[in-house]
Amino acid sequence: MQYLKKDDYRNYFRDVFGISEDILKKYHFYETSSSVWAYTGDAAPLSEAEVVGVRALRVRNITKPTTSFLRIIGKYATKNVVFIDDEQGSSFLSGESLIGVCQSLKGYVVVRTASDVLGCGLCRNGILISQVPKKYRPDITWL
Amino acid sequence: MFEKYRHIIPDFESFLKAVETPQPYWFRVNTIKIGEKELVSRLSDKGFVLERFRDLNAYKIVSMPVKHPGATLEHSFGYYYVQDISSMVPALVLDPKPGELVLDMAAAPGSKTTLMAALMKNEGSIVANDTRASRLRALGSNVERLGVTNVMITKGDARTMDFKHLYDKILLDAPCSGEGVIRKNPKHGIPGDKEHRYFSQLQKSLIKNAWKHLDTGSKLVYSTCTFNPIENEDVVQYAVSKLGMEILQVEFPVPHVRGVSFWEGRDYSDISDYVMRIYPHLLNTGGMFIAVLEKR
Repeated sequence: MQYLKKDDYRNYFRDVFGISEDILKKYHFYETSSSVWAYTGDAAPLSEAEVVGVRALRVRNITKPTTSFLRIIGKYATKNVVFIDDEQGSSFLSGESLIGVCQSLKGYVVVRTASDVLGCGLCRNGILISQVPKKYRPDITWL
Repeated sequence: MFEKYRHIIPDFESFLKAVETPQPYWFRVNTIKIGEKELVSRLSDKGFVLERFRDLNAYKIVSMPVKHPGATLEHSFGYYYVQDISSMVPALVLDPKPGELVLDMAAAPGSKTTLMAALMKNEGSIVANDTRASRLRALGSNVERLGVTNVMITKGDARTMDFKHLYDKILLDAPCSGEGVIRKNPKHGIPGDKEHRYFSQLQKSLIKNAWKHLDTGSKLVYSTCTFNPIENEDVVQYAVSKLGMEILQVEFPVPHVRGVSFWEGRDYSDISDYVMRIYPHLLNTGGMFIAVLEKR
């Protein structure tokens, strides 16, 4: 796989989520055909590598941040952040949409509770639509 | 199944008793994402009773309010990794530092890779390799969940693959007959001599390729989760006598015994005092063999 180094993607996280350069400078961003990977390693990616760091963005048709990368850097976000309580958090993680929590926001947001970054959400027409992948959705028996 | 090991495993009756009882769960806190104190406090609030082992980031779950230790939000957030303490030892003994270039030749499902990344504070680089797509998926999923960003994952036959660098440190947690994980997986078949010999050949090919990728003076940790000396001392002796590697003394504060000196007519006394064997009855864990070698 070809990994094209494109550190300009730092600008996306700076502009959309207000994350400081100081946090972003340790990540190098590598683009493949449909994804952008965030990598803190020193050695350049091997062409044989199937994964480099953590997938940060999907870029096929639209640019969409991943829950896994927002769970790493989302705590530093100062813009486009939606705070919800623990009960709303459970619903959000289960894939439910929430009404009335992102009136003034539009587009992709970092969704968090007081203690944890839950992942990526999409604010559309005042509704928060969960973008958390199914693999991260909790089972009813979980604590 | 284990009768053939009666003369090499100390306190054999306790060993037999241990392997017939279920193995307790252990975990380590993923310090890339959360502090030990905070996670322990959160799990304790949820009803987990935990026991820390000495000053290590290794916690035994004494009791828990869920069926499986991974059935929590904290686990899904990547705040901890369920891993037997015996399985942590190879990575802790290798002791990778931030900034180093490390190769994990048989990495899936990623328990040791992600531990090494935490020790390296996500700095430096780890090349984590495995062969099968299904195992790579598990590795990728754990790397992602734990927020490990200094790893690149490759798929290849580690016996012959060109890993493109000389590495500061290599972990070869080799594929093996798995006798040491029988408590976790009681349905595990009984390995016969043919199987031990097959794995031994495979392990020697792997250690040879590891040796090719080490810089002079660099360190290799060789580990398996099995007991048979053919897969352990025999492979280490091969690395010393045929590849010219130097064996170093392993010291680590987890209960263990030294290696086997004689087995089926073979003499391993030149290396047996250097290696480490963790048996299930010593700390109520799985089994593990660990050796440290250096390239001259």
